[in-house]
Amino acid sequence: MTTATVDGHAAGHDDHDHGPTKGIKRWLFSTNHKDIGTMYLIFSLVMFFVGGAMAMVIRSELAVPGLQFVHPEFFNSMTTMHALIMVFGAVMPAFVGLANWMIPLMIGAPDMALPRMNNWSFWILPVAFGILLSTLLMPGGGPASGWTMYPPLVLQTGDAFPFLIFSVHLMGISSIMGSINVIVTIINMRAPDMTLLKMPMFVWTWLITAYLLIAVMPVLAGAVTMLLTDQFFGTSFFLAAGGGDPVMFQHIFWFFGHPEVYIMILPAFGVVSEIIPTFARKKLFGHDSMVYAASCIAFLSFIVWAHHMFTVGMPLTGQLFFMFATMLIAVPTGVKIFNWIATMWRGAMTFETPMLFSLAFVFLFTIGGFSGLMLAIQPADVQYHDTYFVVAHFHYVLVPGSVFAIMAGAYYWLPKWTGHMYNEKLGKLHFWMSTIFVNITFFPQHFLGLAGMPRRIPDYSVQFADFNLISSIGAFGFGLSQLIFVFVLLTAWKGAKATDRVWEGSHGLEWTVPSPAPWHTFTTPPKARIADEAFE
Amino acid sequence: MDEQTRKKNIRRTALIVGAVALAFYFGFIMLGVMRS
Repeated sequence: MTTATVDGHAAGHDDHDHGPTKGIKRWLFSTNHKDIGTMYLIFSLVMFFVGGAMAMVIRSELAVPGLQFVHPEFFNSMTTMHALIMVFGAVMPAFVGLANWMIPLMIGAPDMALPRMNNWSFWILPVAFGILLSTLLMPGGGPASGWTMYPPLVLQTGDAFPFLIFSVHLMGISSIMGSINVIVTIINMRAPDMTLLKMPMFVWTWLITAYLLIAVMPVLAGAVTMLLTDQFFGTSFFLAAGGGDPVMFQHIFWFFGHPEVYIMILPAFGVVSEIIPTFARKKLFGHDSMVYAASCIAFLSFIVWAHHMFTVGMPLTGQLFFMFATMLIAVPTGVKIFNWIATMWRGAMTFETPMLFSLAFVFLFTIGGFSGLMLAIQPADVQYHDTYFVVAHFHYVLVPGSVFAIMAGAYYWLPKWTGHMYNEKLGKLHFWMSTIFVNITFFPQHFLGLAGMPRRIPDYSVQFADFNLISSIGAFGFGLSQLIFVFVLLTAWKGAKATDRVWEGSHGLEWTVPSPAPWHTFTTPPKARIADEAFE
Repeated sequence: MDEQTRKKNIRRTALIVGAVALAFYFGFIMLGVMRS
């Protein structure tokens, strides 16, 4: 950890010439990392509610057996769009927003290394999702083949198909440009004394995530390019009739898809690793081992992809390899969980909203991890595959995992962004409502899956009725709880004035600048000190 | 490190990382070409 010796106010006030442009131009042409970070975060919140509305359609239809509200084709469209929007429109942009805001502040850089590209990578996103959402109005409806876009099913998509491919390409380009920016910034713009192993964990996890993105987003782009040429240019990459192999698409997709899971969880690990030490008032236990564990998880994420395809059929050695490699991920993940627990051990803990979300993250993400271990066992996976057990598993990883970490990060850094303390009572209410309802929504889905309810269906046998109703009630409760978060954000400027350090136990360069963080910070590099005086 | 060197390093890192991304894109399409 690093503590700046430079006077925090000086760091904020030595800037100089100009503030932001007035009006819409400030946002359209912004090259400022804080403005772009804000835009990413607002965009992701909007997409969170759009994807959430689709989840409400899904849970309304599934509340009771029989077909109630929507046509089955539209239901399939909702599951597909919900996933694409939540993964690429909500979770990933939220973490990019946090990265934009916090990485330059944490490493003592004046901005991201490539600010114009930063602007471009944000503004591509609304275009990409505008195109994707417009497909719902097209003849044949929106894409309905699942977010995995498996051929030959996806090739039966109506007019929406080329728009789906184009929007996925745009999302990929945006992510790749964003990750180039993160890597270049971290490698070249750190404060003079901040060596790699002195970087905060959030910066480290984002560096590793950015490398993952560079390696796998082009793979997704390549896969969908081949889908496009199969559909329109007479190739047969994935068409069995033309000598192609549809299973090859699954291999390529999941070579992207599994690291994608870690792209959505490694920055969450980083956020939680910042918050727990602050509210336990202790140093992060085993900082370096956390870095090695995150790197290890990133490496392993490249060699486990076929565990998504156990039922496709593969040689026994392949099944064994992918099963054991997947189980191996539990080791570095366990290192992280135990390090967070050790950080809290005998700490002077307090339970403000960011800490509550972080604690729930540790506990509930672990449940998602354990069900992941169950799915990794190949003979068992044959039973669980394509059931609601899988839906329960990945929602535990992504909602109380990634989304809770984003919420934790938002509450943690909000006073630094706005200069005011948010409403702690409402924050805690938001936390408790979210935590109770997220479990009511997703825990019964384990039982549904174990009882054999298939995923991606608009109707089901009456034996699954009770748990589905409970799950739907939970989903509506969770959705409504998020309105509290919106209210907290809208009133974030009304709270007490935040101090520069904001939290008693916080440490690091970002807390040395004034609250709210000025438009320009660290225009001259801070003289960072290696020792963290606050904890010695 | 002076500003000129820093800019050169930024450009170099960006080009290397961008080239890796392009290599993955065309590499996996070539994999598809060879398999089909």
